[in-house]
Amino acid sequence: MFENIAFSSVSEFLQMGKYALHVWAVYGIFAVFIFVNLFLPRIQRKRFIAEQKSRAQREAQIKSARERASGEKV
Amino acid sequence: MWVWFSKLGSPKWFYELSSKWLPWLYVLMAVLMSVGLVWALLFVPQDYQQGDTIRIMYVHVPVASISLACFPLMAIAGAITLVWKMKLADMVAKCAAPIGAWFTAVALATGAIWGEPIWGTWWVWDARLTSMLIQFFLLIGVIALRSAIESPDSAAKACALLSIVGAINVPIIKYSVEWWNTLHQPASSFSMEQDSAFGPEIWVPLVIMFVAVYCFFVISLILSTRNEILQRERKSGWVVDIVNGVKG
Repeated sequence: MFENIAFSSVSEFLQMGKYALHVWAVYGIFAVFIFVNLFLPRIQRKRFIAEQKSRAQREAQIKSARERASGEKV
Repeated sequence: MWVWFSKLGSPKWFYELSSKWLPWLYVLMAVLMSVGLVWALLFVPQDYQQGDTIRIMYVHVPVASISLACFPLMAIAGAITLVWKMKLADMVAKCAAPIGAWFTAVALATGAIWGEPIWGTWWVWDARLTSMLIQFFLLIGVIALRSAIESPDSAAKACALLSIVGAINVPIIKYSVEWWNTLHQPASSFSMEQDSAFGPEIWVPLVIMFVAVYCFFVISLILSTRNEILQRERKSGWVVDIVNGVKG
């Protein structure tokens, strides 16, 4: 299997013939592309859940404050 | 059939089903992507003309061809939105547009980087490149149109129409390399012979990368559609349960 590797040394692999810049730029863009599109939705989801929780908390506080206020009046 | 259809249109049903599918898709993508990347970077032989730039193909070709799936998907989802007013179809259409724009942009960028050493130029106004650039602008247009219209229902209808019209560009991109004499090469025909210019040692890793990138496309579409579902259904009981179920 390993005799089929197209390069004979690590430095040769990194140099990619004389196209290191081109090949590694493409694979770099690809890595960023995958990373961003898999992690952005996760961040959005976390932010959504945090927002909904704090909204629910606020609403509960308002509700209990109102109940207290109406209790004092009576 | 109709029960299945209306069930599929239910955001809750899609959310639950996709929860079951996602882990499998992740595993499939990780395995295929690892095999494909190692194969493409280490084992594919240098091309006798292009040298090591042949390795750019294993990113550029899958990304570019999958970017073409976006407009048909949005057009079908748009037609379903217009005819049956299915909520889920519009959510998928909305989420597909930015992902498609990403795919098209990466296809253009990697193509330019490949073109520089092989064609001697980053960009030419060739039919394939130009029609891809138009696809990018159309996708930006769909995204902008949605954010410009305040009422979600009218935005859904307008975007559905634009997606159906914009899908006309897809066959133009696909056949641009045959209809016009262009610098961009036409699709190579697969050959089973070892010595051929496009033999199995070249295309097998390409097919693996293609399936891997397709998995990635489906995963990112599912992830952002799920967020869209949560956002739009935030007042319904089952979403409140999910929010309360998450610790932290």
